[in-house]
Amino acid sequence: MSLPSFAEVEHAEWPALKQMCESLGLNPKGRSAVVRMRVLDHVRRHIRAEPWRAKREHIAALLTRLGFPEVSQAVWESTIQLDAPAPWLGLGQAQLAGGSVVEATRSFDRAARMGDADALLHRAGVLAAAGEYERAVRACESYLTTHAGDLRALAMQAEFLARAGFGEEAARVFRSTAESRREIPGLLRAGGTALLRAGRPEAAVNMLTEAIRVEPTDVESRINRGAALVLAGRTQEAIAAFREALKIDPHRAEALNDLGVVQLQVGQAKGAAGNIRRAAKLADSPRIMLNLASVGGSDRRRRAPKRTTRKKAESVRTEAEVATKPSPTTKPRKRRSRKTSPAETSKPSEPSPP
Amino acid sequence: MRPSPEAGGGRLTFPPDQTRRFLPSVDRLEAAMHAARNAFERGNADGALGQLAVALKLKPQYDAAWILRGRILRKTGDREGALDSFAQALKANGESKEGWMGLASVLHDLGRTQEEAEAYDRMLALDPRSVEAWIDKGAVLHELKDYRGAIACNEKALSLRPESAAAWNNKGAALLRLGDAPGAARCFDEALHFDPDFFDAMANRMYLYEQQGRHGEAVLWADRALRIREAAWLWYAKGLAHLGLLESTLAVRSFERALTIDPNLAEAKAALGRAREMREKVDFYRGVYECFGTHLVGDPGCAECEIRPRCQEVTP
Repeated sequence: MSLPSFAEVEHAEWPALKQMCESLGLNPKGRSAVVRMRVLDHVRRHIRAEPWRAKREHIAALLTRLGFPEVSQAVWESTIQLDAPAPWLGLGQAQLAGGSVVEATRSFDRAARMGDADALLHRAGVLAAAGEYERAVRACESYLTTHAGDLRALAMQAEFLARAGFGEEAARVFRSTAESRREIPGLLRAGGTALLRAGRPEAAVNMLTEAIRVEPTDVESRINRGAALVLAGRTQEAIAAFREALKIDPHRAEALNDLGVVQLQVGQAKGAAGNIRRAAKLADSPRIMLNLASVGGSDRRRRAPKRTTRKKAESVRTEAEVATKPSPTTKPRKRRSRKTSPAETSKPSEPSPP
Repeated sequence: MRPSPEAGGGRLTFPPDQTRRFLPSVDRLEAAMHAARNAFERGNADGALGQLAVALKLKPQYDAAWILRGRILRKTGDREGALDSFAQALKANGESKEGWMGLASVLHDLGRTQEEAEAYDRMLALDPRSVEAWIDKGAVLHELKDYRGAIACNEKALSLRPESAAAWNNKGAALLRLGDAPGAARCFDEALHFDPDFFDAMANRMYLYEQQGRHGEAVLWADRALRIREAAWLWYAKGLAHLGLLESTLAVRSFERALTIDPNLAEAKAALGRAREMREKVDFYRGVYECFGTHLVGDPGCAECEIRPRCQEVTP
């Protein structure tokens, strides 16, 4: 006697359920839910669990991620059915990974026509990959008409707006999303970062201050706020902001490096060198190393560093801006002498030319 | 590791005791650890401890050896010794997750729940994605009657592993304590969906139904739980549900079974007397209907039921 499947038992009508009970030698009497549970228990105890085997679609998806998009496309094509949009989505991803942007767009269009709304977002991603940010934003908007408030779509839309240079609009999307979805952290920070990228440091400072008010322990927001303050020319406040970030996490290389850069701007060369050296010890970043090289000669030549670190994807591009000349009017703040470890005080080798 | 050759070609030698102490042979150390693990797996705790003594003499700060020693001692019932071993492991390596988990488990055995919670905090600082640590911390907070904290921990565990039946069950138990019966019911549903044979979730569900006065469902879930594991308190609870359904004989049998397993269960003794008294007056018989007391209007099974009037009588 073959066992019915779980789905068959779950969806069986009362007569069929009773028949199953009789064929399996089970008691068919009682409330239908209880009888159903009895059959399900029996099936679960007697069914032999089949070992999981990767199907073609699983293999295809893995191939895309493992970096074999051409092979993946061939496997996805073999899984295509007339009425299923999922293989088209997979095929589109593989085509995109393989660099066939036009083909990928077509595949996503097909999936969208089959009724898969997610395909619109995939299509938006393709358009963005091709540099067509405005069309990508429109694709997100059309998705949002049917999925209002969808966080993924809103985040994509804001990202594309920011990449297209509409930083303020991106920030507005982040702000409105943050107001409606208060349970999701980081949205205000993302908005502030977008404003910073859009060259609106004062507005960015305001939004990042708000982000810090909501999440006081958010170090990223504090570091980005510091960067925004630097760009707004409020260097002393920037130093305070970086120091606050370091109070929360003393081992953040970006904050140490950025603090060092600003200190150098205001003429605190010694403190700057110490902070950049500490940053270099914590993170193996070429930007910090370049700053370190510049600082190495600063005792003798006082030169502004060239670059600051960039944090992850949403970090701020400050390298160009922070490399501005140090303000000649700002006096270096006196600091108490501090014992440093030999490693910190040892002079680096001759700095390479910037 | 071998002693380096002395200048001039001769070998630099140490006295035997120092050689054993300062120049441990890695091969010997690993051989001792391997032998200890094998002995422990075979159930030879003394042999395992002997091999670990050799390993720890070779390398006194070997955290893995201390952890294994802690596990062996815990299994043999030497909790204080186990606690000391895990503490030594953490002294050698303060970032050992196994060490913190072991320490927490021994503290649990010793009933030092506050310290156990702190151990989980340390563990979670090292690995914030440890589902086991979140679940265990939730369980400790539950014991400390911090039900909201327990819910937060279990929610964290569920955000990392949504299919964790234990986390669903523990969240449900905490919600039940806070009086959120519908929320608790949903959690137990989820727990039983992911693990249909989860004893704790069945027992909790039975308590929930009993609390709601739904004795029929309570008996149903008590029966299911008892098929997995027998416990005196569960038989007692089942007996109470039978009393609610006016099934005196079944109630008497349940209480008797509870007293066979645990003769000191005073509540069962008292309830047995009540059940016997009740049997003089009323005694319903359910026959093959395990769903007795759960009548549902419009259900096809209930429509065909032979004892429907009686069932309706005891269904709330």
